[in-house]
Amino acid sequence: MMFKMINNRKILLQGIHEPLAQSMIAPMCGYGTAIVAGVSVGHGGTTVAEIPVFDLVEQAIAAVGQIDTSVVCVPPDQVADAALEAIAAGIRQLVLIPHHVPPLDTLTLINRAKATGTVILGAGSAGLIVPDQFLLGSLDPQCYSAGPVGMIDRTNRIGDAIAWELTQAGIGQSVAVHLGTGTILGTTFPDWLSLLAHNEDTKAVVLLEQHLLGNKAAATVIPPDFPKPIFAYVAGQHLPFQAPISDASTSIAVQKVHPLPHTSTAAEKVAAYKAAKIRVATSPKQLTDWLQEVL
Amino acid sequence: MELLEYQAKALFADVGIPILPSQRIYQPRDIKQLQVPYPVVLKSQVRAGGRAKAGGIRFVENTIDAIAATQTILTLAIGGEYPQLVLAEARYDTDQELFLAIVLDYHRQHPILLGSSRGGIEVDLALEDIKTVVIEQEFSPFHARRLAIQMGLTGPNIQAVSSIVERMYHLFASKDLDSIEINPLGINRNGEVMALDGKITLSETALSRHPQLQTLSDLPLEGFYAATPMLPTLPRWEQPQGAIAALSRIVLLSPNPGVAALIWDSLTKTKARPQYCALIDPQGDIVQQMTVQLTACFEQSGLKAVVIHLCPKAEIATPMIAALTQSYPGLPKPPEIPPRSPRRRSSSPPAQSLQPAVVVYVPGQLSNEASQALGALPLQCVTTLADLLTLLTLNL
Repeated sequence: MMFKMINNRKILLQGIHEPLAQSMIAPMCGYGTAIVAGVSVGHGGTTVAEIPVFDLVEQAIAAVGQIDTSVVCVPPDQVADAALEAIAAGIRQLVLIPHHVPPLDTLTLINRAKATGTVILGAGSAGLIVPDQFLLGSLDPQCYSAGPVGMIDRTNRIGDAIAWELTQAGIGQSVAVHLGTGTILGTTFPDWLSLLAHNEDTKAVVLLEQHLLGNKAAATVIPPDFPKPIFAYVAGQHLPFQAPISDASTSIAVQKVHPLPHTSTAAEKVAAYKAAKIRVATSPKQLTDWLQEVL
Repeated sequence: MELLEYQAKALFADVGIPILPSQRIYQPRDIKQLQVPYPVVLKSQVRAGGRAKAGGIRFVENTIDAIAATQTILTLAIGGEYPQLVLAEARYDTDQELFLAIVLDYHRQHPILLGSSRGGIEVDLALEDIKTVVIEQEFSPFHARRLAIQMGLTGPNIQAVSSIVERMYHLFASKDLDSIEINPLGINRNGEVMALDGKITLSETALSRHPQLQTLSDLPLEGFYAATPMLPTLPRWEQPQGAIAALSRIVLLSPNPGVAALIWDSLTKTKARPQYCALIDPQGDIVQQMTVQLTACFEQSGLKAVVIHLCPKAEIATPMIAALTQSYPGLPKPPEIPPRSPRRRSSSPPAQSLQPAVVVYVPGQLSNEASQALGALPLQCVTTLADLLTLLTLNL
């Protein structure tokens, strides 16, 4: 199931008239990704950059055939609806680009995805890239080059900069995926690690995390028998604010549950990697040095 | 965004959660129009906890006492917050006080029902008494009954309390709440339940589709937004005062909090520690933000360098370069940094001023026009972090 998202070819763009979508069309098409249709309510029958536009996902499928992946670019509070429409029309892979999708919407969507076997990347994802083959979303393709390193990014997208640093050092990437900046994500580290474990082009894995992004350290969910070397980088270890900012009037429930998003600190993440015996690079330079050792 | 008690109670009433008759009092003379019969409770409408202990809740028996108490409450700040109004509410004699809440747990990624049979102010002391039920799939009333029974309720109380939890869940789901809490839920000797105090936190992400919630408050919505502990919401990071050494006279500007954190960390380990980092919001007016930041940098005396992270994407790079170009004319040129690093493209003409050096870090390749525009400016351009560090540490 997961393999398809890095091998598929027929892409739908939901919300094709949104600025988010507009800025992605040229880079994706330029990279050879086939956006076969767009959906934009009220614009059915028109075209955008020669891409046919439909009012409904099911109309798009009727006209262009089965879609592999839909990239959702509608406004945040309409993302769940657009995604449910795509799932109902039989699309089983979704990339949710907008940030700030209401969390309960994401939960509803995740439940629906589980029930239908749908793979969701995001929300707040910049997409994924298989260098020299395939680009989904808004990653900057010039930063990437084909090679053996799989990258999973759960930061405010430092992936482009890290990939660029690797590329400059002569280390290319097999797959790079941005999980998203959302508070709740469709797929996360274990999902993409299992993909990278089976991906023959991937010889080593880099995990990117950031201070106060997400509620869990990645290292706590890495399968202990992962077959390829893993290195990590955690951005923001030296930022001048360490603990999450909590609201003084927050209810007593705080002591029993975790009502705040993005509370996992860089220190916690680094400690979790240490416990999992995964090395955390202190700089992109060190990351490239370590990768060169194992490749 | 957290609602005030009276706003929360208005939502409770909408879904049939019983609340006491009450009236909003904005100034002491409003008491004369009070329709709620004495004795009444006057409650300061602030978001801070511990209102009772701080003196923000007062019981009064007559108009004279009520006017005096209102005066006192309105001039009493609790947790630094002055109330805009007081809620005058009928008194309610309870046999038992419960705590009920529904919270979206970001760690477990499910809504969670919470309840304790020791509610009111006691709940702080009895954390171990708080029971939880995780809603993994669709909510159904049995979840509420399960909570009520875990709380130790028996007989008719089970149904009475679980029906309140059901209504709370309805509000939680239909209004996109982050959390909803009733504490205490009073039960009187006839077994009737009453929401005596309530807290509701709205999800800011969903406000746009709830026009009713936007108009609920008679106070402006701005300023109610609680800071989410996420990097992008902090537009500026500063070194603590003690840490600003003479060597760390460097400012960092970046449109991306992640890459800014990456640069900040790398510089922190050297003597080129940044004094502060200003984040440019790429959704906003980039030229205007950059110009403000650059002007501030150029006006600051003793600053050694401004490090600018230039995202190579055209939609961000173009306005950033435009701002740089605009900010340069009329300004003395920065001192030349002697070329040491082999991979660096140097385009800096010699100059003798004390203006800070501008160093641009571009992780990627710029378009030809962008490179040319940048090349015309008296600044240094590097494309890897290692080069940036070399440049800063060797020359500053």
